[in-house]
Amino acid sequence: MTAPLLTVHELVVRYKTRGLFATPSKPAVDRVNLSLPAGSTLGIVGESGSGKSSLLRAVLRLVPVESGGITLDGQDWLATHGPDLRRARHSIGFVAQNPFLSLSPRLTIAQILAEPLLARGDKPGAAMQDHMALLLSRCGLPPDFLPRRARELSGGQAQRVAIARALALSPRLLVLDEPTSALDVSVQAQILNLLMDLKADFGLSLLFVTHNLKVVAHLADQLMVMRHGCVVEAGATQRIMAAPEQSYTRELMGFGQRFGQNTKP
Amino acid sequence: MRCATAKGASAVTLLEVQGLSVTIPSPAGPVQAVRSVDLCIAKGEIHGLIGESGCGKTMTGMALLGLTPAGAQVAARVFQFDGIDLSTSAAALRGRRIALISQDPAAALNPVLTIGRQMDDVLRTHSPHSKVDRRAGAVALLAATGLPDADKLMTCYPHQLSGGMQQRVVIAQALATGADFLIADEPTTALDVTVGAQVLALLRQLVADRGLTILMITHDMDVVAAVCDRATVLYAGLSVETGPASAILTCPRHPYAAALLAALPDAAPHGQRLAAIDGQIPPSTKPISGCAFAPRCPAVMSLCHTVPPPARVQGDHLWACHLAEGAP
Repeated sequence: MTAPLLTVHELVVRYKTRGLFATPSKPAVDRVNLSLPAGSTLGIVGESGSGKSSLLRAVLRLVPVESGGITLDGQDWLATHGPDLRRARHSIGFVAQNPFLSLSPRLTIAQILAEPLLARGDKPGAAMQDHMALLLSRCGLPPDFLPRRARELSGGQAQRVAIARALALSPRLLVLDEPTSALDVSVQAQILNLLMDLKADFGLSLLFVTHNLKVVAHLADQLMVMRHGCVVEAGATQRIMAAPEQSYTRELMGFGQRFGQNTKP
Repeated sequence: MRCATAKGASAVTLLEVQGLSVTIPSPAGPVQAVRSVDLCIAKGEIHGLIGESGCGKTMTGMALLGLTPAGAQVAARVFQFDGIDLSTSAAALRGRRIALISQDPAAALNPVLTIGRQMDDVLRTHSPHSKVDRRAGAVALLAATGLPDADKLMTCYPHQLSGGMQQRVVIAQALATGADFLIADEPTTALDVTVGAQVLALLRQLVADRGLTILMITHDMDVVAAVCDRATVLYAGLSVETGPASAILTCPRHPYAAALLAALPDAAPHGQRLAAIDGQIPPSTKPISGCAFAPRCPAVMSLCHTVPPPARVQGDHLWACHLAEGAP
Protein backbone atom coordinates (compact mmCIF):
# COMPACT_ATOMS: atom_id res chain seq x y z
CA MET A 1 0.00 0.00 0.00
CA THR A 2 1.47 3.32 -1.05
CA ALA A 3 1.38 6.27 1.30
CA PRO A 4 -1.65 8.49 0.78
CA LEU A 5 -1.06 11.60 -1.33
CA LEU A 6 -4.00 13.39 0.21
CA THR A 7 -5.72 12.81 3.53
CA VAL A 8 -8.64 14.77 4.92
CA HIS A 9 -9.39 14.38 8.60
CA GLU A 10 -12.70 15.39 10.25
CA LEU A 11 -13.00 18.36 7.93
CA VAL A 12 -15.70 20.94 8.65
CA VAL A 13 -16.48 23.79 6.25
CA ARG A 14 -19.13 26.28 7.31
CA TYR A 15 -20.19 29.38 5.44
CA LYS A 16 -20.76 32.46 7.59
CA THR A 17 -24.26 33.76 8.18
CA ARG A 18 -24.72 37.49 8.21
CA GLY A 19 -25.64 39.34 11.40
CA LEU A 20 -24.13 39.34 14.85
CA PHE A 21 -26.87 37.30 16.52
CA ALA A 22 -27.74 35.04 13.58
CA THR A 23 -27.71 31.35 14.43
CA PRO A 24 -24.71 29.62 12.86
CA SER A 25 -25.51 27.87 9.58
CA LYS A 26 -25.33 24.13 9.16
CA PRO A 27 -21.88 23.05 8.01
CA ALA A 28 -21.56 22.59 4.23
CA VAL A 29 -19.04 19.84 4.88
CA ASP A 30 -19.55 17.97 8.15
CA ARG A 31 -16.66 15.94 9.61
CA VAL A 32 -15.53 14.32 6.37
CA ASN A 33 -12.62 11.91 6.26
CA LEU A 34 -10.93 10.67 3.13
CA SER A 35 -7.64 9.20 2.04
CA LEU A 36 -6.36 9.20 -1.52
CA PRO A 37 -3.41 6.88 -2.19
CA ALA A 38 -0.90 8.09 -4.80
CA GLY A 39 -1.85 6.97 -8.30
CA SER A 40 -5.44 6.12 -7.47
CA THR A 41 -8.80 7.72 -8.21
CA LEU A 42 -11.42 8.76 -5.69
CA GLY A 43 -14.90 9.55 -6.98
CA ILE A 44 -17.05 11.88 -4.91
CA VAL A 45 -20.73 11.62 -5.81
CA GLY A 46 -23.55 13.81 -4.61
CA GLU A 47 -26.45 15.97 -5.66
CA SER A 48 -26.77 19.74 -5.42
CA GLY A 49 -26.06 20.92 -1.89
CA SER A 50 -24.35 17.71 -0.83
CA GLY A 51 -21.14 19.58 -0.02
CA LYS A 52 -19.02 17.92 -2.71
CA SER A 53 -17.96 21.22 -4.27
CA SER A 54 -17.26 22.79 -0.86
CA LEU A 55 -15.03 19.84 0.00
CA LEU A 56 -13.24 20.32 -3.31
CA ARG A 57 -12.77 24.03 -2.68
CA ALA A 58 -11.36 23.32 0.77
CA VAL A 59 -8.83 20.91 -0.76
CA LEU A 60 -7.95 23.62 -3.30
CA ARG A 61 -7.62 26.12 -0.39
CA LEU A 62 -10.28 28.38 -1.90
CA VAL A 63 -12.58 28.46 1.14
CA PRO A 64 -11.62 28.71 4.83
CA VAL A 65 -11.84 25.55 6.88
CA GLU A 66 -13.53 25.66 10.30
CA SER A 67 -11.86 22.60 11.79
CA GLY A 68 -10.15 19.41 10.79
CA GLY A 69 -7.01 18.80 8.83
CA ILE A 70 -5.77 18.22 5.30
CA THR A 71 -2.44 16.58 4.59
CA LEU A 72 -1.01 16.80 1.09
CA ASP A 73 2.09 14.78 0.27
CA GLY A 74 3.01 14.48 3.95
CA GLN A 75 2.73 18.21 4.66
CA ASP A 76 0.11 20.00 6.73
CA TRP A 77 -1.68 21.59 3.80
CA LEU A 78 -3.77 24.00 5.89
CA ALA A 79 -0.64 25.39 7.61
CA THR A 80 1.02 26.26 4.29
CA HIS A 81 0.91 29.98 3.54
CA GLY A 82 2.38 32.68 1.32
CA PRO A 83 5.09 31.75 -1.21
CA ASP A 84 5.13 28.17 0.08
CA LEU A 85 1.43 27.83 -0.73
CA ARG A 86 1.98 29.27 -4.21
CA ARG A 87 4.70 26.72 -4.87
CA ALA A 88 2.79 23.84 -3.37
CA ARG A 89 -0.21 24.64 -5.53
CA HIS A 90 1.81 23.57 -8.57
CA SER A 91 1.20 20.00 -7.50
CA ILE A 92 -2.59 20.33 -7.95
CA GLY A 93 -4.27 20.67 -11.34
CA PHE A 94 -7.90 21.67 -11.62
CA VAL A 95 -10.47 21.04 -14.38
CA ALA A 96 -13.89 22.72 -14.14
CA GLN A 97 -17.24 21.65 -15.53
CA ASN A 98 -17.72 24.03 -18.45
CA PRO A 99 -14.61 24.63 -20.56
CA PHE A 100 -16.19 27.65 -22.24
CA LEU A 101 -16.43 29.34 -18.83
CA SER A 102 -13.04 28.21 -17.55
CA LEU A 103 -11.12 29.16 -20.73
CA SER A 104 -10.95 32.87 -21.49
CA PRO A 105 -12.67 33.67 -24.80
CA ARG A 106 -10.19 36.50 -25.44
CA LEU A 107 -7.00 34.46 -25.27
CA THR A 108 -5.52 32.02 -27.76
CA ILE A 109 -4.92 28.43 -26.68
CA ALA A 110 -1.18 29.24 -26.58
CA GLN A 111 -1.79 32.13 -24.15
CA ILE A 112 -4.08 29.97 -22.02
CA LEU A 113 -1.46 27.22 -21.73
CA ALA A 114 1.35 29.74 -21.16
CA GLU A 115 -0.34 31.36 -18.14
CA PRO A 116 0.48 28.70 -15.54
CA LEU A 117 4.03 28.36 -16.95
CA LEU A 118 4.65 32.13 -16.79
CA ALA A 119 3.18 32.26 -13.29
CA ARG A 120 5.75 29.65 -12.24
CA GLY A 121 8.47 31.86 -13.66
CA ASP A 122 9.28 30.06 -16.90
CA LYS A 123 10.77 32.24 -19.64
CA PRO A 124 8.78 32.50 -22.85
CA GLY A 125 10.54 31.07 -25.87
CA ALA A 126 10.92 28.06 -28.11
CA ALA A 127 11.20 25.66 -25.17
CA MET A 128 7.85 26.83 -23.80
CA GLN A 129 6.26 26.53 -27.26
CA ASP A 130 7.50 22.95 -27.52
CA HIS A 131 6.23 22.18 -24.04
CA MET A 132 2.77 23.54 -24.91
CA ALA A 133 2.63 21.57 -28.17
CA LEU A 134 3.58 18.46 -26.21
CA LEU A 135 0.83 19.12 -23.65
CA LEU A 136 -1.73 19.45 -26.44
CA SER A 137 -0.60 16.29 -28.18
CA ARG A 138 -0.75 14.39 -24.87
CA CYS A 139 -4.39 15.48 -24.74
CA GLY A 140 -5.09 14.39 -28.31
CA LEU A 141 -4.95 17.77 -30.07
CA PRO A 142 -2.56 18.81 -32.87
CA PRO A 143 -0.17 21.77 -32.27
CA ASP A 144 -1.96 23.89 -34.90
CA PHE A 145 -4.63 24.51 -32.24
CA LEU A 146 -2.21 26.87 -30.42
CA PRO A 147 -3.15 30.09 -32.28
CA ARG A 148 -6.90 29.36 -32.10
CA ARG A 149 -9.38 30.59 -29.50
CA ALA A 150 -11.65 28.56 -27.22
CA ARG A 151 -14.81 29.67 -29.02
CA GLU A 152 -13.61 28.03 -32.24
CA LEU A 153 -13.41 24.62 -30.56
CA SER A 154 -16.06 22.00 -29.89
CA GLY A 155 -16.94 21.19 -26.27
CA GLY A 156 -14.76 18.09 -26.23
CA GLN A 157 -11.77 19.89 -27.76
CA ALA A 158 -12.14 22.78 -25.30
CA GLN A 159 -12.24 20.37 -22.36
CA ARG A 160 -9.04 18.74 -23.70
CA VAL A 161 -7.39 22.20 -23.63
CA ALA A 162 -8.58 22.68 -20.03
CA ILE A 163 -7.05 19.32 -19.10
CA ALA A 164 -3.80 20.25 -20.90
CA ARG A 165 -3.67 23.48 -18.87
CA ALA A 166 -4.24 21.57 -15.64
CA LEU A 167 -1.30 19.31 -16.53
CA ALA A 168 1.02 22.19 -17.50
CA LEU A 169 2.92 22.25 -14.18
CA SER A 170 3.16 18.43 -13.92
CA PRO A 171 0.84 18.10 -10.93
CA ARG A 172 0.56 14.94 -8.88
CA LEU A 173 -3.10 15.46 -8.07
CA LEU A 174 -5.76 16.31 -10.65
CA VAL A 175 -9.00 17.70 -9.23
CA LEU A 176 -11.97 17.40 -11.59
CA ASP A 177 -15.33 19.07 -10.90
CA GLU A 178 -17.98 17.50 -13.17
CA PRO A 179 -15.55 17.39 -16.12
CA THR A 180 -17.95 15.63 -18.51
CA SER A 181 -21.35 16.96 -17.43
CA ALA A 182 -21.47 19.58 -20.19
CA LEU A 183 -20.47 17.09 -22.89
CA ASP A 184 -22.30 14.63 -25.14
CA VAL A 185 -22.16 10.92 -24.43
CA SER A 186 -19.74 10.09 -27.26
CA VAL A 187 -17.44 12.99 -26.27
CA GLN A 188 -17.70 12.04 -22.61
CA ALA A 189 -16.34 8.61 -23.54
CA GLN A 190 -13.34 10.26 -25.28
CA ILE A 191 -12.58 12.44 -22.23
CA LEU A 192 -12.90 9.52 -19.79
CA ASN A 193 -10.52 7.48 -22.00
CA LEU A 194 -8.08 10.41 -22.02
CA LEU A 195 -8.20 10.71 -18.22
CA MET A 196 -7.50 6.99 -17.84
CA ASP A 197 -4.51 7.27 -20.21
CA LEU A 198 -3.11 10.36 -18.48
CA LYS A 199 -3.51 8.78 -15.07
CA ALA A 200 -1.47 5.78 -16.16
CA ASP A 201 1.18 7.79 -18.05
CA PHE A 202 1.79 10.49 -15.43
CA GLY A 203 1.01 8.47 -12.32
CA LEU A 204 -1.66 11.00 -11.44
CA SER A 205 -4.06 10.78 -8.55
CA LEU A 206 -7.55 11.92 -9.44
CA LEU A 207 -10.19 13.51 -7.26
CA PHE A 208 -13.28 13.25 -9.43
CA VAL A 209 -16.46 15.03 -8.33
CA THR A 210 -19.73 14.39 -10.16
CA HIS A 211 -23.44 13.86 -9.71
CA ASN A 212 -23.36 10.99 -12.21
CA LEU A 213 -22.53 7.82 -10.32
CA LYS A 214 -22.16 5.73 -13.48
CA VAL A 215 -19.49 8.02 -14.96
CA VAL A 216 -17.29 8.03 -11.89
CA ALA A 217 -17.87 4.38 -11.08
CA HIS A 218 -16.21 3.53 -14.37
CA LEU A 219 -12.81 4.97 -13.52
CA ALA A 220 -12.70 5.42 -9.76
CA ASP A 221 -10.94 2.94 -7.49
CA GLN A 222 -12.87 4.24 -4.50
CA LEU A 223 -16.21 5.98 -4.18
CA MET A 224 -17.58 8.39 -1.62
CA VAL A 225 -21.27 9.25 -1.65
CA MET A 226 -22.16 12.56 0.03
CA ARG A 227 -25.48 14.00 1.14
CA HIS A 228 -26.17 17.15 3.17
CA GLY A 229 -22.45 17.58 3.87
CA CYS A 230 -21.95 14.12 5.31
CA VAL A 231 -20.47 10.96 3.86
CA VAL A 232 -23.31 8.51 3.34
CA GLU A 233 -21.25 5.63 2.04
CA ALA A 234 -17.59 5.13 1.13
CA GLY A 235 -15.52 2.22 -0.05
CA ALA A 236 -14.16 0.32 -3.01
CA THR A 237 -16.06 1.07 -6.24
CA GLN A 238 -16.82 -2.53 -7.11
CA ARG A 239 -18.16 -3.24 -3.64
CA ILE A 240 -20.48 -0.21 -3.69
CA MET A 241 -21.72 -0.77 -7.23
CA ALA A 242 -22.36 -4.46 -6.59
CA ALA A 243 -24.01 -4.10 -3.19
CA PRO A 244 -24.76 -0.54 -2.05
CA GLU A 245 -25.46 -0.45 1.66
CA GLN A 246 -27.54 2.72 1.56
CA SER A 247 -30.84 3.11 -0.27
CA TYR A 248 -29.74 6.62 -1.23
CA THR A 249 -26.80 5.18 -3.16
CA ARG A 250 -29.19 2.88 -5.00
CA GLU A 251 -31.37 5.88 -5.87
CA LEU A 252 -28.33 7.71 -7.26
CA MET A 253 -27.46 4.74 -9.44
CA GLY A 254 -30.32 5.95 -11.53
CA PHE A 255 -33.56 4.69 -12.88
CA GLY A 256 -32.08 3.06 -15.97
CA GLN A 257 -31.36 -0.32 -14.41
CA ARG A 258 -33.55 -2.04 -16.99
CA PHE A 259 -30.83 -2.10 -19.61
CA GLY A 260 -27.48 -2.84 -18.09
CA GLN A 261 -26.18 -5.20 -20.73
CA ASN A 262 -26.24 -4.50 -24.44
CA THR A 263 -27.09 -7.99 -25.58
CA LYS A 264 -27.33 -9.03 -29.19
CA PRO A 265 -29.57 -11.83 -30.36
CA MET B 1 -39.82 5.15 -43.21
CA ARG B 2 -43.35 3.96 -42.86
CA CYS B 3 -45.38 4.41 -39.74
CA ALA B 4 -45.42 1.75 -37.07
CA THR B 5 -46.80 2.16 -33.58
CA ALA B 6 -46.46 0.31 -30.32
CA LYS B 7 -50.03 -0.82 -29.99
CA GLY B 8 -50.31 -2.10 -33.53
CA ALA B 9 -53.11 -1.22 -35.91
CA SER B 10 -55.57 -0.58 -33.08
CA ALA B 11 -53.65 2.46 -31.82
CA VAL B 12 -54.73 5.88 -33.03
CA THR B 13 -51.90 7.81 -34.62
CA LEU B 14 -51.76 11.26 -33.05
CA LEU B 15 -48.74 12.68 -34.81
CA GLU B 16 -47.39 11.68 -38.19
CA VAL B 17 -44.37 13.44 -39.65
CA GLN B 18 -42.52 12.36 -42.77
CA GLY B 19 -39.52 14.02 -44.33
CA LEU B 20 -39.52 17.05 -42.02
CA SER B 21 -36.75 19.51 -42.83
CA VAL B 22 -35.90 22.86 -41.25
CA THR B 23 -33.51 25.14 -43.13
CA ILE B 24 -32.27 28.32 -41.44
CA PRO B 25 -30.59 31.04 -43.49
CA SER B 26 -27.21 32.21 -42.18
CA PRO B 27 -24.35 34.37 -43.53
CA ALA B 28 -22.39 31.16 -44.23
CA GLY B 29 -25.21 29.73 -46.33
CA PRO B 30 -28.38 27.83 -45.39
CA VAL B 31 -28.05 25.65 -42.27
CA GLN B 32 -29.85 22.31 -42.45
CA ALA B 33 -30.86 22.05 -38.78
CA VAL B 34 -33.24 19.21 -39.61
CA ARG B 35 -32.64 17.29 -42.85
CA SER B 36 -35.28 14.58 -42.91
CA VAL B 37 -37.09 13.42 -39.78
CA ASP B 38 -39.88 10.84 -39.68
CA LEU B 39 -41.95 10.54 -36.54
CA CYS B 40 -45.03 8.48 -35.85
CA ILE B 41 -46.53 8.75 -32.40
CA ALA B 42 -49.62 6.90 -31.18
CA LYS B 43 -52.09 8.37 -28.71
CA GLY B 44 -51.06 7.69 -25.11
CA GLU B 45 -47.44 6.92 -25.93
CA ILE B 46 -44.23 8.42 -24.54
CA HIS B 47 -41.93 8.71 -27.52
CA GLY B 48 -38.25 9.38 -26.96
CA LEU B 49 -36.35 11.58 -29.40
CA ILE B 50 -32.70 10.64 -28.81
CA GLY B 51 -29.67 12.48 -30.09
CA GLU B 52 -26.55 14.43 -29.25
CA SER B 53 -25.97 18.19 -29.51
CA GLY B 54 -26.62 19.51 -32.99
CA CYS B 55 -28.61 16.52 -34.23
CA GLY B 56 -31.76 18.62 -34.62
CA LYS B 57 -33.85 17.15 -31.82
CA THR B 58 -34.80 20.49 -30.25
CA MET B 59 -35.42 22.08 -33.67
CA THR B 60 -37.76 19.19 -34.51
CA GLY B 61 -39.72 20.00 -31.35
CA MET B 62 -39.76 23.70 -32.22
CA ALA B 63 -41.10 22.89 -35.70
CA LEU B 64 -43.97 20.95 -34.11
CA LEU B 65 -44.72 24.04 -31.99
CA GLY B 66 -44.40 26.45 -34.91
CA LEU B 67 -41.52 28.16 -33.09
CA THR B 68 -38.73 27.90 -35.65
CA PRO B 69 -36.48 31.00 -35.95
CA ALA B 70 -37.52 33.85 -38.22
CA GLY B 71 -36.76 33.11 -41.88
CA ALA B 72 -36.53 29.35 -41.33
CA GLN B 73 -38.07 27.15 -44.02
CA VAL B 74 -40.08 24.21 -42.70
CA ALA B 75 -41.03 21.53 -45.22
CA ALA B 76 -42.46 18.03 -44.87
CA ARG B 77 -44.17 15.42 -47.04
CA VAL B 78 -46.56 14.57 -44.20
CA PHE B 79 -47.00 16.91 -41.21
CA GLN B 80 -50.21 15.88 -39.50
CA PHE B 81 -51.37 16.19 -35.90
CA ASP B 82 -54.68 14.43 -35.23
CA GLY B 83 -55.75 15.03 -38.83
CA ILE B 84 -54.77 18.71 -38.76
CA ASP B 85 -52.04 19.99 -41.07
CA LEU B 86 -49.27 21.34 -38.83
CA SER B 87 -47.57 23.27 -41.62
CA THR B 88 -50.38 25.84 -41.50
CA SER B 89 -51.76 25.49 -37.97
CA ALA B 90 -48.82 24.68 -35.67
CA ALA B 91 -49.06 28.15 -34.09
CA ALA B 92 -52.83 27.79 -33.61
CA LEU B 93 -52.42 24.43 -31.84
CA ARG B 94 -49.61 25.67 -29.60
CA GLY B 95 -50.89 26.25 -26.08
CA ARG B 96 -54.20 24.56 -26.95
CA ARG B 97 -53.44 21.01 -28.06
CA ILE B 98 -49.62 21.06 -27.94
CA ALA B 99 -47.61 22.40 -24.98
CA LEU B 100 -43.91 22.62 -24.16
CA ILE B 101 -42.07 21.61 -21.00
CA SER B 102 -38.64 23.18 -21.31
CA GLN B 103 -35.30 22.12 -19.89
CA ASP B 104 -34.77 24.86 -17.35
CA PRO B 105 -37.88 25.55 -15.23
CA ALA B 106 -36.23 28.59 -13.62
CA ALA B 107 -36.03 30.21 -17.05
CA ALA B 108 -39.55 29.13 -18.04
CA LEU B 109 -41.16 30.85 -15.04
CA ASN B 110 -41.35 34.62 -14.59
CA PRO B 111 -39.29 35.50 -11.50
CA VAL B 112 -41.34 38.58 -10.54
CA LEU B 113 -44.83 37.03 -10.63
CA THR B 114 -46.33 34.64 -8.08
CA ILE B 115 -47.08 31.04 -9.03
CA GLY B 116 -50.80 31.83 -8.67
CA ARG B 117 -50.60 34.73 -11.10
CA GLN B 118 -48.66 32.66 -13.62
CA MET B 119 -51.13 29.79 -13.41
CA ASP B 120 -54.01 32.24 -13.79
CA ASP B 121 -52.40 33.80 -16.87
CA VAL B 122 -52.65 30.43 -18.60
CA LEU B 123 -56.14 29.59 -17.32
CA ARG B 124 -57.57 33.02 -18.15
CA THR B 125 -56.74 32.68 -21.84
CA HIS B 126 -58.24 29.21 -22.03
CA SER B 127 -61.41 29.25 -19.97
CA PRO B 128 -64.32 31.63 -19.44
CA HIS B 129 -64.55 30.73 -15.75
CA SER B 130 -64.75 33.21 -12.88
CA LYS B 131 -61.70 34.24 -10.90
CA VAL B 132 -62.68 32.03 -7.95
CA ASP B 133 -63.17 28.97 -10.17
CA ARG B 134 -59.89 29.61 -11.93
CA ARG B 135 -58.10 29.77 -8.59
CA ALA B 136 -59.63 26.46 -7.52
CA GLY B 137 -58.61 25.00 -10.88
CA ALA B 138 -55.05 26.22 -10.47
CA VAL B 139 -54.79 24.70 -6.98
CA ALA B 140 -56.19 21.41 -8.27
CA LEU B 141 -53.66 21.32 -11.13
CA LEU B 142 -50.74 22.09 -8.83
CA ALA B 143 -51.92 19.35 -6.47
CA ALA B 144 -52.22 16.96 -9.43
CA THR B 145 -48.51 17.41 -10.12
CA GLY B 146 -47.74 16.22 -6.61
CA LEU B 147 -46.97 19.61 -5.07
CA PRO B 148 -47.75 19.70 -1.35
CA ASP B 149 -49.65 22.69 0.11
CA ALA B 150 -50.76 23.81 -3.34
CA ASP B 151 -52.96 26.47 -1.78
CA LYS B 152 -50.05 28.11 0.03
CA LEU B 153 -47.85 27.79 -3.03
CA MET B 154 -50.08 30.13 -5.03
CA THR B 155 -48.57 33.14 -3.26
CA CYS B 156 -44.96 31.98 -3.63
CA TYR B 157 -42.44 33.28 -6.14
CA PRO B 158 -40.43 30.84 -8.30
CA HIS B 159 -37.17 31.48 -6.39
CA GLN B 160 -38.79 30.17 -3.20
CA LEU B 161 -39.24 26.76 -4.84
CA SER B 162 -36.69 24.03 -5.48
CA GLY B 163 -35.85 23.00 -9.05
CA GLY B 164 -38.06 19.93 -8.86
CA MET B 165 -41.01 21.98 -7.56
CA GLN B 166 -40.48 24.58 -10.29
CA GLN B 167 -40.58 21.86 -12.94
CA ARG B 168 -43.84 20.58 -11.43
CA VAL B 169 -45.29 24.09 -11.72
CA VAL B 170 -44.25 24.20 -15.40
CA ILE B 171 -45.95 20.82 -15.92
CA ALA B 172 -49.09 22.15 -14.16
CA GLN B 173 -49.05 25.12 -16.55
CA ALA B 174 -48.82 22.75 -19.51
CA LEU B 175 -51.82 20.84 -18.14
CA ALA B 176 -53.70 24.13 -17.61
CA THR B 177 -53.67 24.75 -21.35
CA GLY B 178 -55.70 21.58 -21.79
CA ALA B 179 -53.10 20.25 -24.22
CA ASP B 180 -53.13 16.51 -24.87
CA PHE B 181 -49.67 16.43 -26.50
CA LEU B 182 -46.65 17.58 -24.48
CA ILE B 183 -43.21 18.21 -25.91
CA ALA B 184 -40.79 17.69 -23.03
CA ASP B 185 -37.37 19.05 -24.02
CA GLU B 186 -34.82 17.50 -21.64
CA PRO B 187 -37.18 17.95 -18.65
CA THR B 188 -34.80 16.39 -16.12
CA THR B 189 -31.39 17.61 -17.32
CA ALA B 190 -31.35 20.60 -14.96
CA LEU B 191 -32.49 18.49 -12.00
CA ASP B 192 -30.74 16.17 -9.56
CA VAL B 193 -30.90 12.45 -10.35
CA THR B 194 -33.36 11.57 -7.59
CA VAL B 195 -35.57 14.61 -8.30
CA GLY B 196 -35.45 13.87 -12.03
CA ALA B 197 -36.68 10.34 -11.34
CA GLN B 198 -39.67 11.78 -9.44
CA VAL B 199 -40.53 14.15 -12.30
CA LEU B 200 -40.37 11.26 -14.79
CA ALA B 201 -42.65 9.18 -12.57
CA LEU B 202 -45.09 12.11 -12.51
CA LEU B 203 -45.11 12.36 -16.32
CA ARG B 204 -45.66 8.61 -16.58
CA GLN B 205 -48.59 8.88 -14.17
CA LEU B 206 -50.11 11.84 -16.04
CA VAL B 207 -49.99 9.85 -19.27
CA ALA B 208 -51.90 7.05 -17.59
CA ASP B 209 -54.41 9.27 -15.76
CA ARG B 210 -55.14 11.91 -18.37
CA GLY B 211 -54.44 10.11 -21.64
CA LEU B 212 -51.61 12.45 -22.56
CA THR B 213 -49.06 11.81 -25.28
CA ILE B 214 -45.47 12.97 -24.75
CA LEU B 215 -42.55 13.55 -27.08
CA MET B 216 -39.54 13.18 -24.75
CA ILE B 217 -36.53 14.96 -26.22
CA THR B 218 -33.43 13.65 -24.45
CA HIS B 219 -29.80 12.62 -24.76
CA ASP B 220 -30.01 10.43 -21.66
CA MET B 221 -30.52 6.71 -22.28
CA ASP B 222 -31.57 6.25 -18.65
CA VAL B 223 -34.55 8.54 -19.29
CA VAL B 224 -35.49 6.53 -22.37
CA ALA B 225 -35.21 3.29 -20.42
CA ALA B 226 -37.28 4.66 -17.55
CA VAL B 227 -40.31 6.13 -19.32
CA CYS B 228 -40.36 5.76 -23.11
CA ASP B 229 -42.54 3.26 -24.96
CA ARG B 230 -40.95 3.94 -28.33
CA ALA B 231 -38.02 6.02 -29.47
CA THR B 232 -36.46 7.61 -32.52
CA VAL B 233 -32.70 8.18 -32.84
CA LEU B 234 -31.57 11.30 -34.69
CA TYR B 235 -28.17 11.85 -36.27
CA ALA B 236 -27.19 14.99 -38.21
CA GLY B 237 -30.82 16.01 -38.65
CA LEU B 238 -31.93 12.59 -39.90
CA SER B 239 -34.03 9.99 -38.13
CA VAL B 240 -31.85 6.88 -38.45
CA GLU B 241 -33.71 4.40 -36.29
CA THR B 242 -37.15 4.11 -34.72
CA GLY B 243 -38.74 1.31 -32.74
CA PRO B 244 -39.75 0.09 -29.28
CA ALA B 245 -37.52 1.76 -26.67
CA SER B 246 -36.49 -1.58 -25.20
CA ALA B 247 -35.45 -2.90 -28.63
CA ILE B 248 -33.37 0.20 -29.38
CA LEU B 249 -31.67 0.06 -25.98
CA THR B 250 -30.89 -3.66 -25.95
CA CYS B 251 -30.53 -4.40 -29.66
CA PRO B 252 -29.79 -1.24 -31.65
CA ARG B 253 -29.68 -1.80 -35.42
CA HIS B 254 -28.23 1.44 -36.77
CA PRO B 255 -24.43 1.59 -36.24
CA TYR B 256 -24.76 5.09 -34.73
CA ALA B 257 -27.32 3.97 -32.17
CA ALA B 258 -25.11 0.98 -31.34
CA ALA B 259 -22.02 3.20 -30.98
CA LEU B 260 -23.89 5.68 -28.77
CA LEU B 261 -24.94 2.90 -26.38
CA ALA B 262 -21.45 1.38 -26.39
CA ALA B 263 -19.99 4.77 -25.38
CA LEU B 264 -21.92 4.80 -22.09
CA PRO B 265 -19.65 4.40 -19.07
CA ASP B 266 -21.46 1.28 -17.85
CA ALA B 267 -21.12 -0.46 -21.23
CA ALA B 268 -17.45 -1.33 -20.63
CA PRO B 269 -15.95 -3.27 -17.70
CA HIS B 270 -14.60 -1.15 -14.83
CA GLY B 271 -11.46 0.78 -15.77
CA GLN B 272 -11.45 -0.44 -19.39
CA ARG B 273 -11.33 1.98 -22.31
CA LEU B 274 -14.75 3.10 -23.51
CA ALA B 275 -15.81 2.74 -27.13
CA ALA B 276 -15.70 6.44 -28.03
CA ILE B 277 -17.00 7.47 -31.47
CA ASP B 278 -14.14 9.01 -33.46
CA GLY B 279 -14.68 12.04 -35.66
CA GLN B 280 -17.38 14.69 -35.56
CA ILE B 281 -20.92 15.13 -36.85
CA PRO B 282 -20.98 16.42 -40.44
CA PRO B 283 -21.35 20.23 -40.72
CA SER B 284 -24.98 21.25 -41.08
CA THR B 285 -24.15 23.68 -43.90
CA LYS B 286 -23.03 20.94 -46.31
CA PRO B 287 -25.26 18.43 -48.10
CA ILE B 288 -24.80 14.75 -47.27
CA SER B 289 -24.17 12.21 -49.99
CA GLY B 290 -24.80 8.62 -49.03
CA CYS B 291 -25.08 7.78 -45.33
CA ALA B 292 -24.50 10.64 -42.85
CA PHE B 293 -22.71 8.33 -40.41
CA ALA B 294 -20.40 6.76 -43.03
CA PRO B 295 -17.23 8.77 -42.10
CA ARG B 296 -17.43 7.54 -38.48
CA CYS B 297 -18.99 4.12 -38.99
CA PRO B 298 -16.94 1.05 -37.93
CA ALA B 299 -18.71 -1.13 -40.53
CA VAL B 300 -18.48 1.33 -43.42
CA MET B 301 -18.52 0.02 -47.01
CA SER B 302 -17.63 1.89 -50.20
CA LEU B 303 -21.24 2.41 -51.27
CA CYS B 304 -22.09 4.04 -47.90
CA HIS B 305 -20.31 7.21 -49.04
CA THR B 306 -22.35 7.62 -52.21
CA VAL B 307 -25.71 5.86 -51.93
CA PRO B 308 -28.29 6.89 -49.29
CA PRO B 309 -29.06 3.89 -47.04
CA PRO B 310 -32.32 2.00 -47.66
CA ALA B 311 -34.98 1.67 -44.97
CA ARG B 312 -34.92 -1.66 -43.17
CA VAL B 313 -38.01 -2.99 -41.44
CA GLN B 314 -38.31 -5.70 -38.83
CA GLY B 315 -41.77 -5.72 -37.30
CA ASP B 316 -42.23 -2.28 -35.77
CA HIS B 317 -38.48 -1.62 -35.66
CA LEU B 318 -37.19 0.51 -38.55
CA TRP B 319 -33.71 1.73 -39.40
CA ALA B 320 -31.76 3.06 -42.36
CA CYS B 321 -28.57 1.16 -43.19
CA HIS B 322 -26.89 -0.60 -46.09
CA LEU B 323 -26.27 -3.61 -43.84
CA ALA B 324 -29.34 -5.82 -44.03
CA GLU B 325 -29.04 -6.92 -40.41
CA GLY B 326 -27.88 -3.57 -39.07
CA ALA B 327 -25.03 -2.94 -36.66
CA PRO B 328 -22.53 -5.80 -36.35
